[in-house]
Amino acid sequence: MGGLIALTRRRPELGLLFWVAAVGITGSVAVAAAETAGFRPQQLVIPVTFVVVAFVLHVFLAARGVRGDQLLLPLAAVLTALGLVLVQRLASNLLLQQLSWTFIAAGAFAATILIPRDITALSRYKWTWAILGILLLMSPLLPVIGREVNGARIWIGFGAVNFEPWEAVKILLVIFFAAYLEEFREVLAQTQRRFGPIPVPPVPYLVPIVAMWAIAMVVMVFEKDLGATLLFLGIFLAMLYLATGEAFYTLIGIVLLVVGGFLAYQVFGHVAARVDVWLHPFSEEVRFDAGYQLVQGLFALANGGLFGAGLGNGMPERIPVVWSDFVFDAFAEEVGFAGALALLALYLLFVYRGMLIALRAPTPFLQLLAAGLSFIVALQTLVIVGGNARLIPLTGITLPFVAYGGSSLVTNWMLVALLIRVSDTTARVRGTP
Amino acid sequence: MEITFAVLLWGVRIAFLVLLYLFLVRAFGVLHRSLVAERAADGATRSLGVLVVERSAGHAPRVGERFSLRASTSIGRDAGNDVPLSDEAASARHAVLELRDGDWWIEDLGSTNGTLVNGTRIDRAERLRFGDELAIGRIAMRIEKWAG
Repeated sequence: MGGLIALTRRRPELGLLFWVAAVGITGSVAVAAAETAGFRPQQLVIPVTFVVVAFVLHVFLAARGVRGDQLLLPLAAVLTALGLVLVQRLASNLLLQQLSWTFIAAGAFAATILIPRDITALSRYKWTWAILGILLLMSPLLPVIGREVNGARIWIGFGAVNFEPWEAVKILLVIFFAAYLEEFREVLAQTQRRFGPIPVPPVPYLVPIVAMWAIAMVVMVFEKDLGATLLFLGIFLAMLYLATGEAFYTLIGIVLLVVGGFLAYQVFGHVAARVDVWLHPFSEEVRFDAGYQLVQGLFALANGGLFGAGLGNGMPERIPVVWSDFVFDAFAEEVGFAGALALLALYLLFVYRGMLIALRAPTPFLQLLAAGLSFIVALQTLVIVGGNARLIPLTGITLPFVAYGGSSLVTNWMLVALLIRVSDTTARVRGTP
Repeated sequence: MEITFAVLLWGVRIAFLVLLYLFLVRAFGVLHRSLVAERAADGATRSLGVLVVERSAGHAPRVGERFSLRASTSIGRDAGNDVPLSDEAASARHAVLELRDGDWWIEDLGSTNGTLVNGTRIDRAERLRFGDELAIGRIAMRIEKWAG
């Protein structure tokens, strides 16, 4: 009886999951029906399987008596379902692989809900997270397991399984930053000494900040990964600003980033190439060469119009590697401005919900943790959508939950689980449902 | 046959977009309702609290000093506690104040000289009401609702 009562506690979540099922299955039908080979009902197995996974996760949360947020699971599920629809559309040979990754992601989600009995305790092991994170970040540079794909050395592989360690590192770093800043934010924020408008904090506390910048630059130089560098520094600066309220630190960070970026542009060919493509994609030299992908993406975006060509009716296959780098453009081509706007609104809701969880969390560590995690999703979406639309230079960041890729899907679902845990802790402390 | 299939196909494509927007509307609705519910719950059990020092023997804490409470607030002689007490009768980690389900609870962490609530020594976790007095050694503090 008590079990049944617990199951009814998460009714809004359950209601939203029915809509997730409707969106995922309709999308899949639209794609399957448009194929030249004709409509094959077997293809529906995949969205239906994923919907079952999402419902199982809901029952799991309800049975565990998890309180608090009921919006993040359906949001993550609808984004993942859209991802599956797009993989089916753009790279159907990878579809089964992506579906198996959603199982692993669901497992990682459940484990994150179950395992740390008290998530506040995560802050006690902050140096462990920092060291683990840095080791993981450096691991692609190791000779045997490191892999170089498309010019960026950001993968590690064991046999056939490749993993992007950066994806896991971003969560470890947010946990570390949250714990570190909870401990030292007063020292950093309430500096007595000022040099004009510039706060002069005690030097030992600045060391980690400079070290972070140095590591970001190392990643940029040796792993040739612009996106990771940007995310890495962005997360840190945002969290530093949230913790101290001192805009000047952020300013220093941005100046260091600009200086570092300018030097990298001068010294490293791959950085200069990215910037040139961004500035002049239609010039004769890059149009059919380095800029081909971006140019095709821009054409796709422009072709979309207000309502798009219809799901399964566009020509996104003309963009190279569309399923991992350019899913946003492909989606916008087929469902138009209207669909792309809905997609961005989903991310907006996700991030807004995450920030609300952060605001209500009972301790500074949990507040910074939730804010940092939400910021990861916000910044990633901004950087990749901006890159696809030629607002900023293109980087190898993936569109959270939607783009094809296992490591990113698994870590993003762990991120959702952590946010739900923070919300659950808040509800328990405050005595709300 | 061909034409009906094409019409159906377009129907599915449009349905996909419409469903996506319906999901969004529902999600906004859930968010809005949960915000309203949270605000109402916060208004009902305004749970933030402060400890006000009423009696003290030494210089720390001073009489009248206020400590705003965190969801788990440690009290003891060590400087690392959220509420540090400079009193020989206090143990290094003396007691902990915790917010559980909107109520404040005090628990003695096995201190040598004990914790008193309104003059009575406690032997297990005890629920507090705003206005209750905590005494540890020669220091007395009152738990009050956080106003402002």
